[in-house]
Amino acid sequence: MALISSPLGAPVRAVARIRASVHVKLLAGFLLITLLFIAITAVSLRAVRETARQTDLLDQAQVRVGWSRQIEHALAMQMHFTSMALLAQSEDSVGLILRENNRFNDTLARLETAAPPEERALIQAIRVAQDDAMATVADIANAVRDRRMADAMTALRTRQEPIYQKIETLVGSLVAAEDTRMASLRRSIAAAQARSLRQMAGFAVAAVAVALIAGFVISWSFILPVREFHGFLSQVAEGRFGGSVAVPNRDEFGALAERMNWMSGELRRLDDEQRVAAATLRGLNDRLELASRAKSEFLANMSHELRTPLNAILGFTEIMLDELYGEVPPNLREPLVDIQTNGRHLLRLINDVLDLSKIEAGRLELGVDEYSVQEIVDVVHASLRSLAIEKGLAFSVWVAPDIPPARGDGRRITQCLMNLAGNALKFTRHGRVEIDVRLDEGWLTYRVSDTGIGIPKEEVENIFAEFRQVDTTITREYGGTGLGLSITKRLVEMHGGRIGVESELGRGSRFFFTVPLHADGGPA
Amino acid sequence: MRDRTVLHIEDNEYNRKIVRQLLSRTSYRLLEAADGEEGLAVAQRELPDLILMDVQLPKLSGLDATRLLRADPRTAKIPLVVVTSFALSGDDRRAIDAGASAYLAKPYSPRDLMALIHRFLPEN
Ligand SMILES: Nc1ncnc2c1ncn2[C@@H]1O[C@H](COP(=O)(O)OP(=O)(O)OP(=O)(O)O)[C@@H](O)[C@H]1O
Ligand SMILES: [Mg+2]
Repeated sequence: MALISSPLGAPVRAVARIRASVHVKLLAGFLLITLLFIAITAVSLRAVRETARQTDLLDQAQVRVGWSRQIEHALAMQMHFTSMALLAQSEDSVGLILRENNRFNDTLARLETAAPPEERALIQAIRVAQDDAMATVADIANAVRDRRMADAMTALRTRQEPIYQKIETLVGSLVAAEDTRMASLRRSIAAAQARSLRQMAGFAVAAVAVALIAGFVISWSFILPVREFHGFLSQVAEGRFGGSVAVPNRDEFGALAERMNWMSGELRRLDDEQRVAAATLRGLNDRLELASRAKSEFLANMSHELRTPLNAILGFTEIMLDELYGEVPPNLREPLVDIQTNGRHLLRLINDVLDLSKIEAGRLELGVDEYSVQEIVDVVHASLRSLAIEKGLAFSVWVAPDIPPARGDGRRITQCLMNLAGNALKFTRHGRVEIDVRLDEGWLTYRVSDTGIGIPKEEVENIFAEFRQVDTTITREYGGTGLGLSITKRLVEMHGGRIGVESELGRGSRFFFTVPLHADGGPA
Repeated sequence: MRDRTVLHIEDNEYNRKIVRQLLSRTSYRLLEAADGEEGLAVAQRELPDLILMDVQLPKLSGLDATRLLRADPRTAKIPLVVVTSFALSGDDRRAIDAGASAYLAKPYSPRDLMALIHRFLPEN
């Protein structure tokens, strides 16, 4: 198979060779696919978590920037209130300065706890500067209280302002540091997102590929043995026994293959045995056939030997009855007629037995020729009319018009119709006997209907067998051996036709046979 | 004009006797033969007007004798009736093929035989 030699052949065989049930293999396949999807989910979850953490950091940095701005604001307010104290020449503003200072310190403390370690030094510096600033504020406040306005002004200008400027610079650098940090965070978030997108896509593609390959390999590891089985079973169906299936599978298919091989061997053995038996039977049959043929041949050759003395018996009787030897005394006429009747009966018997033996030996040949249906019916009608009149039966015939000349053995067909009509007259006491013939789509149907004694249902099957008679009392009355129907049946079948009967006990029978309009004969 | 001659070739004495009886009251002259060879010799010597030939005869079968008679120009035209075994046995066809003018199935009715003789050979 092409697949076995393709690159996937090796894994297919490998999977087939795994010693596990089909169930387990399928389960493993699905499990593998499930695991791949779990892995994809895990990767994407991790990426989401990473992004969330970075976003958190960004948020914190933003909060810190906010705080730094608050510090700047508090500082400005301090400066403002210090200037106000100077201008108003009162200490009242000092309380406000302290409030701003507190706010400054609070915010700075929060910033300090939240800030990353590298910013701690900067914050420390701010705190020191602020402490300086507060000391200066105290000095200025003292100077204002003592009305030393010039000193206060000097302190403000020479000490306080430089400190505030310093603080402002420090806060500025703090904000700048946070800004840089935020920018780098934003960059890394974008990078992480791109990376996880790539990872996920890669994983998905890999998962689909692995799932496809696994599905392909597993399914082929099942399909291949099934194909093998199919081929093997086709062989068996064609009557070629003894072949075997070879599959690499060690699963249920492997077990099945083993059973099939066993079965194949068994079939082979049975086939051989049967062949031997058939040959023996054939030999036996040939010998039997030979014997039966010899017997029938003997009977057929007897035909003329039997007829010659019978010819003398019937001939002498007839010329005596015709008074060729002179007048027949009245008391001798009846025994002479009895001799004639029995002689004729003996003749019919001889004819029937010889017919049957010839048919059985396969030596009866049909003399196929053109014949006229009307003529046959007329011959039968003419030869049986006197019997019908004698019994007081109505006897009529009907042949469908326009039946073309038929082909077949006309005399055998006559014999068949004669047998059926003879039976009908024989087994009918009152009423009528009718013969009719019709043509339907190339088939001729000859029918003989009577109003006679009929045939019991259970006997209908049997009457076509040799020597089968329903009621021998009638036979004793009219003669007969039970060969008529069996010969008729065989002759009809030799014409490629069939015979049948419908009958009702006590009401009558209808016998019919159907033959092709153009029968070519040949062995039945 | 001499009487019409009928040659009956038949090995069975009783059957010959029947024909003898049948023709005894007619003007036909009857010749008899009991086997095929004798029948052939008598026919060629006497040149009868009608031949009745049984199909199964000792020495030379009725059909072979018929063929020989038909081959002989002196006897080729003589009406010849073959007495066959059985109307349905195929003998009749073989008889006609051998050259018979007609056939009669055995056992025959003496009346039918007389009718056949009259047909081929009207009595004078
Ligand atoms: N028309 C019929 N009505 C009633 N029974 C019939 C009729 N035809 C045949 N049978 C039955 O079928 C049997 C077999 O018929 P078949 O013609 O084979 O033999 P037979 O007439 O008894 O003897 P044979 O035909 O040999 O002289 C008859 O004995 C009779 O019982
Ligand atoms: Mg019958």
